[in-house]
Amino acid sequence: MDNIFADKFRKEGLLLPEAYGSDFVKKVFQRKDMLFALVALLLFIGLALFAPLISPYNPNTIDLKNKNLSPSGEHLLGTDYLGRDLLSRILIGAQTSLSIAFGVVLISLLFGTVMGCAAGYYGGIVDETLSRVIDIFLSFPGVIFALTILGVLGSGVFNLILALSIVQWAHYARVMRGQVLSLKRQEFVLSAVTSGAGDFYIIRKHIVPNAIAPVLVLATIDLGHVILSIATLSFLGIGLPADIPEWGAMLSAGKEFMRTAPYQTIFPGLAITFFVVIFSILGDGIRDILDPNHEGGEIY
Amino acid sequence: MSLPVLAVNELAMKFGNSEVFKNVSFSVEAGETFGLFGKSGSGKTTIGRCIVGLEKPTYGKILVQGKDILRMGKKEFRELRPKVQMIFQHPETSLDPRMKAFENLIEPLKLHSGLKKNALLERGEELAELTGLRPEHLARYPSHLSGGEIQRIVLARIMSLSPAFVVADEPTSMLDVSVQAQILRLMQKLQKETGVSYLLISHDLEVLRRVCHRIAYLEDGTITSVENIKRGINT
Amino acid sequence: MSLIEINDLSVEFHTGEDSVKAVSHASFDIKEGETFGLIGESGSGKSVIGLAILRLLPTNAEVSGNIFFQGQDIFSIKPSELRKIRGKHIALMPQNPAGSLNPVLKNGLQIKEVYEERGIDKKEGIKKALKLMEKLLLKDPEKLLDLYPHQLSGGMRQRLIACMSLSFEPELLIADEPTKGLDPEAKAGAVDLFTKIKKEYGKTMLLITHDLDLALEVCDRIAVMYAGEIVELDEASKVLSEPLHPYTRGLIRAHPRNGLVPLIGQSPSRIRLPEGCFFHERCKNSGFECSRQHPEMKTHNGGWIRCHFQSLQ
Repeated sequence: MDNIFADKFRKEGLLLPEAYGSDFVKKVFQRKDMLFALVALLLFIGLALFAPLISPYNPNTIDLKNKNLSPSGEHLLGTDYLGRDLLSRILIGAQTSLSIAFGVVLISLLFGTVMGCAAGYYGGIVDETLSRVIDIFLSFPGVIFALTILGVLGSGVFNLILALSIVQWAHYARVMRGQVLSLKRQEFVLSAVTSGAGDFYIIRKHIVPNAIAPVLVLATIDLGHVILSIATLSFLGIGLPADIPEWGAMLSAGKEFMRTAPYQTIFPGLAITFFVVIFSILGDGIRDILDPNHEGGEIY
Repeated sequence: MSLPVLAVNELAMKFGNSEVFKNVSFSVEAGETFGLFGKSGSGKTTIGRCIVGLEKPTYGKILVQGKDILRMGKKEFRELRPKVQMIFQHPETSLDPRMKAFENLIEPLKLHSGLKKNALLERGEELAELTGLRPEHLARYPSHLSGGEIQRIVLARIMSLSPAFVVADEPTSMLDVSVQAQILRLMQKLQKETGVSYLLISHDLEVLRRVCHRIAYLEDGTITSVENIKRGINT
Repeated sequence: MSLIEINDLSVEFHTGEDSVKAVSHASFDIKEGETFGLIGESGSGKSVIGLAILRLLPTNAEVSGNIFFQGQDIFSIKPSELRKIRGKHIALMPQNPAGSLNPVLKNGLQIKEVYEERGIDKKEGIKKALKLMEKLLLKDPEKLLDLYPHQLSGGMRQRLIACMSLSFEPELLIADEPTKGLDPEAKAGAVDLFTKIKKEYGKTMLLITHDLDLALEVCDRIAVMYAGEIVELDEASKVLSEPLHPYTRGLIRAHPRNGLVPLIGQSPSRIRLPEGCFFHERCKNSGFECSRQHPEMKTHNGGWIRCHFQSLQ
């Protein structure tokens, strides 16, 4: 056996599955829209993390002398009907919205993926049962369902995450199940079966890596949707206690002063829109990159 | 007399009320290439899948080295499984698209041999050379390989398990004529070196006549005749 | 008179740092009423030529040379006029008949759509389609119109696609790998189909295939492609019965009927092509010159061949 073979292998990084990942990063950098969205997102996550340090005021300090102010040098984005600084409240609000959104997406992604995987892979009675459960959860209108759960559990950050996760997980399960169903009939999975690989190995090594792309796309776009749902629930006055600054609640409070102090609704509204747009750009980009058929040029 | 590597006895398969095939019996000797000829939709692929345990027939026996795989304990079947392998028709889905060719190749070795990293690499390299692969093929993802190159990797992968028996389901019908000849000749070479038996399933009689020792004709869901082929032309 | 003339066509695909030479310096013409075959392995560049004629290449392709269709330079046509040429003057019969029909539309509706596009009303369109289907050996055409594509066999689907491609009465029909993956019966059916199209309609056709039987039965002239180049071009019967180029010979000997003798080695990488003749590493007759100098196309005995040793054979 000549050594050229062996040397070549090590040089080409033959046994490093990370190579696929590095490809991904390279492609992200080639797309200007994604790069822009990513930089903006990181910037705002940074702002949210350091919000307590950089906020010019305490977001909950009431100052009735200075209520309903327009933007000025002192209050960059103005103040609300209780004289609280809007900029500080939006920054702290970002913390609330982002952490709840990530929490919800993470929980529903994990739970939904496991359920979808089990349903798709094992089939038969397991699939029948799980599919019915998934269908039931999908058949409730999301916000109303969350409202009901919150009505039972009471408000609070943890309960809000729980309620939204219960609403969301079935979407992930459904996408994952479909992926697994088509994958498990593919020849490379069958040849892993005939090589004597166990179920858990096949799921971990072949099924999940090949099925996860659309689920990740869904998760990214969902981050935006969850922020919107939180805002909706807060707008309706359910979800978070009054002392936690949140964009939806700010929007709701500001709507009474639309004519005299429109900034109270405009700025929280812009913040919500901004995140929804950022996450949809990222989701679209990830979909394009992970789709092997999307690449031009490979016709033969 | 030694036992046949594979004996299929009165195999039958029903989906609902329709019978795909019935009363299918044949046996394959060690070192033999046994052809199974049938038109598309004749159920020949299903027979192949039953033999490697990917589908369960409605009725019948499948004896591998004398033992019925359909009436075998889970543990016993798992131990036997590496001995019976399969090559599929469509190269484009035969390898995991997210793993490089070499990772695909050494996967069964990782599962069964217990070899450590360097020994694993070396064994993988040996297998690659055995099947006529070049180093640059191994570093690519399957989407950048041709159908012929993928079937070589599939063969290398299978050979790593030292199977007694390989079901080859139309392994070359999606390949070009010139590549088809290469792959079939490679399969013959591997047979000579290892004594493996093949069940070659195909709708191309010219191919079967060229490489098989015997050919069974599957018509209307059952085997109507078995033909002995005098091989030796150009082999 | 030539219907289409391809002059020194080269196509290169740029992917990242590398560029892949898909077609190099291909030249040929197809006369009116002629069936021309492009033969070669997958990846030999034959499909790329078909796509280049329709200007359907992806954006990372760099093209040089010219293609003249009825005297008009295809590469200088405006995109708006290109659409008129595609389908109406040049029709493509795609490689995969199953994927080319909309699975949720009944066959009749799919055909109707094609005629509607042409401004022919439904009833007359169906009449014309039925006539065409009868001619192309489809039995019970009325019944077929009421079925969905998945209820047809591969061979029948192909005929249906042929009907749709021919409905615009194009001057040139390009068929890309019409027999790939079909079983022998359907393959024989495809031979009948193309013979029929040729005889009944006198259509000019470009047949892109690796099926030597089909090429021999249907084509008037063929060009054999290897590694993006045309290596041999002559009358089909001549090339396939007395091949001159060593690659063509190898291709014919690899056929199961002719002994299933494989060519040694594999096609070269198209990113770094070998010096000299692209085939010399796999050629039994390779000599000193072959590894040094790239052979040019030369006329030989009425045909064309790209080999240093054609006179010896």
